[in-house]
Amino acid sequence: MVIENVLAALNELATVQTFILMVIGVAGGLIAGAIPGFTIAMAVVLTLPFTFGMPAVQGIATMVSVLVGGLSGGLMAGILTGIPGTPSSVATTFDGHPMAKQGKAGLALGIGVWSSFFGGIISAILLMTLAPQLANIGLEFQPWDYFMLVMFALTITASLAGKNLIKGLIAGVVGLLVRTVGEDEAVGMARLNFGNDALLQGFDFIAVLIGLFAFSRLLHDVRDPESARKRLSAGTGDGNISVAIEHLAAIKIIFKHWTLLIRSSLIGVFTGVLPGAGGSIANILAYDQAKKTSKTPSKFGTGTPEGIIAPESSNNAVEGGALMTLMALGIPGDVTAAVMLGALLVHDIVPSPTFITEEPVLAYSIFLSFFGATFMMLGLQSGMLRIFVLVTRVRMYMLAAIILGLCGIGVYAIHNVEFDLWTLLWFGILGVLMRQFGFPLAPMILGVVLGNIAELNLARAMAITTDLTLFVTRPWALFFLIIAIFSSAFPIYQVYRGAKKWTMFYLPVACFAVSGPLFMMGGVPRTTLAAVVVLFGAYTLWRRQQAGWVFERDEEEIDEPQISEGK
Amino acid sequence: MRRLNQDAVIAIFLLLASGILFWSTFSIRTPDYGVLTPAAWPRVIIFALALLSFLYLIQSLKKGVDENAVADREPGLKSWLVYWQNPIYCFAFFLTYLLTLPVLGSLIGGVLFVFILMSILGGVSKEKIVTHAALSLATVGGMWCIFTYGLEVILPQGMIFSAF
Repeated sequence: MVIENVLAALNELATVQTFILMVIGVAGGLIAGAIPGFTIAMAVVLTLPFTFGMPAVQGIATMVSVLVGGLSGGLMAGILTGIPGTPSSVATTFDGHPMAKQGKAGLALGIGVWSSFFGGIISAILLMTLAPQLANIGLEFQPWDYFMLVMFALTITASLAGKNLIKGLIAGVVGLLVRTVGEDEAVGMARLNFGNDALLQGFDFIAVLIGLFAFSRLLHDVRDPESARKRLSAGTGDGNISVAIEHLAAIKIIFKHWTLLIRSSLIGVFTGVLPGAGGSIANILAYDQAKKTSKTPSKFGTGTPEGIIAPESSNNAVEGGALMTLMALGIPGDVTAAVMLGALLVHDIVPSPTFITEEPVLAYSIFLSFFGATFMMLGLQSGMLRIFVLVTRVRMYMLAAIILGLCGIGVYAIHNVEFDLWTLLWFGILGVLMRQFGFPLAPMILGVVLGNIAELNLARAMAITTDLTLFVTRPWALFFLIIAIFSSAFPIYQVYRGAKKWTMFYLPVACFAVSGPLFMMGGVPRTTLAAVVVLFGAYTLWRRQQAGWVFERDEEEIDEPQISEGK
Repeated sequence: MRRLNQDAVIAIFLLLASGILFWSTFSIRTPDYGVLTPAAWPRVIIFALALLSFLYLIQSLKKGVDENAVADREPGLKSWLVYWQNPIYCFAFFLTYLLTLPVLGSLIGGVLFVFILMSILGGVSKEKIVTHAALSLATVGGMWCIFTYGLEVILPQGMIFSAF
């Protein structure tokens, strides 16, 4: 069955036109990733209008290619100039740039490129094998569970999105509210349109995304007239672009650290599965883990290969995890996956637990294009080195004006509706204001994306029974509710960690609470998992009691970066 | 008003908006069928928004005005306009692009928008004008060609272009 699906998908993908589009997509993603301030999500958002006129498989393959290219584009600029092209390449510069300054730029680039490649491949294998399993679990979900899953996704995104949890939650709720404008999907009644007929269709999701995200970001970047006129990487790096990538030496070094590669890739996949967390967090987490487990931690920051392998393999593995939850559950793991969801919706495809079984060709096309794009990325990285460095010398004002102009055409092209351009403008203004006042955009975007799913499942649940207790008594619904509560409390826990006594009990209590619904689910694997979780909670409690109710040194946290809206 | 910090003002605005939106949900028609009325979900969201805005207000009032905060611009309208001049230009020209779309169409309007915006944001010199013109023509023209001829998407032609 799997082989049949793979062959069918391969048949769809194996056209010259799709191949060319994928190469262009990877190249575009790599260039976008190399430009500081131009996030991957923005590149994917801007690609979306182009894919509208394409067949679904071709359009999705192009989007996946941009995504894979973007994930790797940041490392070139980061290693050579010290300026990470994307937030997901921040940790790469810690050792990549020092290594380049020692005259080993070719080796540093080689390690970065091949770590990205192996991270992407591990992630693609996991995506292909685990997504159908996750979809099987998703088949157990009833409307109550789905509703609570959406609430969990929103709360965890809000809690990860910034210092102020309330602002994050407000942004998420505003996103949900935006989605209610226009005719409701269940009975077609006009809502919150204030008598305006244009608003009856609601705000187009893509126009909202581009406005909030790309439009506001560009305006934010050109706010300062002086820096808008400067080159993006002016005055940094020696601009040495006559570097040859040392492939063989790099592969040998990576194989020598194969455990680090696999562990970092797994960190990336797990971070991707988690709603709201992305490459910006994964690369720092993987770097920190690599340093903690290294035999020579003091060498980190001076140009050690481990310091490049860990972040680069993890940030490329992230998207496999994010696509996993998107394809198996219909829930985007981050903003980039939300845009991918938009791309699927544009082609009238609604991801759900039955998506992989009902649309196997399309699902396996996504898997295969992820694989294919990773190989293309490897080839293009080596051939386009000069371009990566040159694009970092572009002036911000030029980039902003061109992209704004292209937005004006692209957004119209999706539905041929002029109102969408007005939506772009208004949400662009809203995005600038939100950035200015410190409201994170990621929860709002997820709110806009997930609003319909939440309402439809609420309506389905209420149509089955009006018993509201099912939202807290069904095992999966309760499971999501508990992790939503603990993830919301996490920022407060981080602030008071060690200073207040209750923080000693946060992790054990979370373990005990989560084990409850796991026990309720029944079955040997889940009961065993629940028992392990309870034992871990009890062990943590015991260790803290033994330590005299103080946090042990090895539990000290790293300075996690603020999640950015893009990766 | 002077004693309120920025967050408190935003929280009050959000509370007022919640009130207006909640009031407007009463004009949503309720059909005779279905368990969940069309107004129910927006009301739940607006209630959550009001609750969070209230908590935000309390949080910001507790924080008080930061007297030591260093502003990144001088107070006053003129300073505000100078500080935000580039985003204002972008919005103003995009608004003009939208308003003139029926006349200029997306090709002429788009090229002019990018060219003028580049020249305003980046400054004007002989060399720059040539660069800006070439870039606007190549990018907007290129995209217009991809959509019109490659993807066969009909973009607004405008009165001028249609006349030919």
